[in-house]
Amino acid sequence: MKIDESLPLEYSTEENRLKILGFWIFLGAEIALFSTLFAVYFALENRFGTGPSAQEIFHMPPVMIETILLLTSSFTIGLGIHAMRLGLKKAMMTFFVITLVLGLGFLGVEIYEFVTYVNEGATIQTSAFLSSLMTLLGTHGLHVTFGLFWGTSILLQVRKRGLTPQTANKSFIFSLYWHFLDVVWIFIFSFVYLKGLMVL
Amino acid sequence: MMKQLFPKQHVMGFVFSLVLSVVALSVLAFDMSYKMGMAILLVTAIAQASVQLLLFMHIGESEDKKTLYTNIIYALFVGVVTILGTLLTMIWGYQ
Repeated sequence: MKIDESLPLEYSTEENRLKILGFWIFLGAEIALFSTLFAVYFALENRFGTGPSAQEIFHMPPVMIETILLLTSSFTIGLGIHAMRLGLKKAMMTFFVITLVLGLGFLGVEIYEFVTYVNEGATIQTSAFLSSLMTLLGTHGLHVTFGLFWGTSILLQVRKRGLTPQTANKSFIFSLYWHFLDVVWIFIFSFVYLKGLMVL
Repeated sequence: MMKQLFPKQHVMGFVFSLVLSVVALSVLAFDMSYKMGMAILLVTAIAQASVQLLLFMHIGESEDKKTLYTNIIYALFVGVVTILGTLLTMIWGYQ
């Protein structure tokens, strides 16, 4: 294995560089996936039938908490990668733990939000609007849930094996995934919640 | 040590994204037309996505950057066509 010392660890071998490239291509496919879910939501957002409308069920406070938690977690994982490039294993692990805790907080608030909807009589079967909304939010939430397990596994590997070309590469790729989830959330925040609550 | 762990660029990027969220929130606080609100949301969302992509995801730092940009721009093109195409055929109509 040829290691290029002039590059950060995560790019230091050809295999590592190809894995990062491959992950970016996967993120391209994820953009296409979320675009279809947004398209369905935009087509059906006014089809609420006898169920509640967006104006009736959306509440900004939990959504703002979710946004701040996810934005902050995106910042902390960025700091984690920065620390990793400085070779600071402990600082990197601390930032990753903070990131995952913030992600867990996000998920908790989102679950609370879903429970509130269901208690208000807004289930996934109530209307086309709610089906498309919960499919979009649920797919994002599922990605975050998966990310929590993935991130935890990588943390355990870093703790056990230290910062090697392999673990650095995995950590960097995970950070790409996490930032991507934040980008998707920004679009949900803007074009689902804020757009839905705008007074026309 | 703190300065080393919290590079200025990252902190500025984080503050910028928080500011953009607050600006986006202003569409609820002020009385404005639908077009104006959507314009604000589009600008703030695209700016936030760019901060993530360029600053935090380091898209431009490797020698593969041309491929990465092409791939992401193509994916965004597919996404925009999917969304606008759906709206055109199902909501707006074209007759």
